[in-house]
Amino acid sequence: MAQQVIYNQSFTIKGGDFINAGSVSVKIKKILKELGLKPEVIYKVAICCYEAEMNTIMYTYKGYVDFSITPEEVVVKINDEGPGIENIELAMKEGYSTATPQMREMGFGAGMGLPNIKKNSDVFEITSEVLKGTKLLFKIFVS
Amino acid sequence: MNLKEIKEILNCRNLSDESLLDTEIDFCIAADLMSDVLRFARTGSLLLTGITNNQVLQVAEIMDLRGIIFVRGKEPDKEIIAQAKERKLPLLITENLLFDACGILFSRGLKGGKTRLQEKNGSTSNIQPVVHD
Repeated sequence: MAQQVIYNQSFTIKGGDFINAGSVSVKIKKILKELGLKPEVIYKVAICCYEAEMNTIMYTYKGYVDFSITPEEVVVKINDEGPGIENIELAMKEGYSTATPQMREMGFGAGMGLPNIKKNSDVFEITSEVLKGTKLLFKIFVS
Repeated sequence: MNLKEIKEILNCRNLSDESLLDTEIDFCIAADLMSDVLRFARTGSLLLTGITNNQVLQVAEIMDLRGIIFVRGKEPDKEIIAQAKERKLPLLITENLLFDACGILFSRGLKGGKTRLQEKNGSTSNIQPVVHD
């Protein structure tokens, strides 16, 4: 049986848009706070969203975010149009990064993005096709 | 310890409204990489950093940081200062190097991410189960 969706919203993230970078995650955090979810859940979702948003901005041309809340979980799907990830296992390794010197100057390239998302989520799925894009899905259980 | 005391100790220049300096600080994090803040900072910490772009503000929002101290005398753009004011996020500048600023605050009793209590409980999460203002 399909789960009842309490809230659903879509966002588009533009690759390279460092000016608005982080704004989708901040919006999502505000929605969760207004809906009165537990602080631990809010922080976990916000951290995962921010990492994913920054990855989308830094490495892809465009990303589509689908964010929904059910009584059991917060679900975030991000599908991007971009170069894809050649070696997901390597990308999942803490400290591994392909960030440029400019990105590092801005405070990125810790190589913690995907590992941080995995650590803070209850369900984590990633698939990627080189030269096409990456599909990321994460869920955080509400209770 | 509140931000007013920290301002005195580190000889900071305040970029915010004086009233925001009453904010109490219990924990600090020092980092120049934003993912490290997300992974290791306790929510509600004070951030010491050399990064001055708008991403520190976004990360502050995500982690409910209680303030930011820019080290090595680094000054953010006017726009960043204005945004922080709007969000009521205290910003301070110290001429101290990151290591020195941390050492001074640590010697005065401020602590970093992992507490003895967390270690005792076997918890590795940096997320606090309370909402910070």
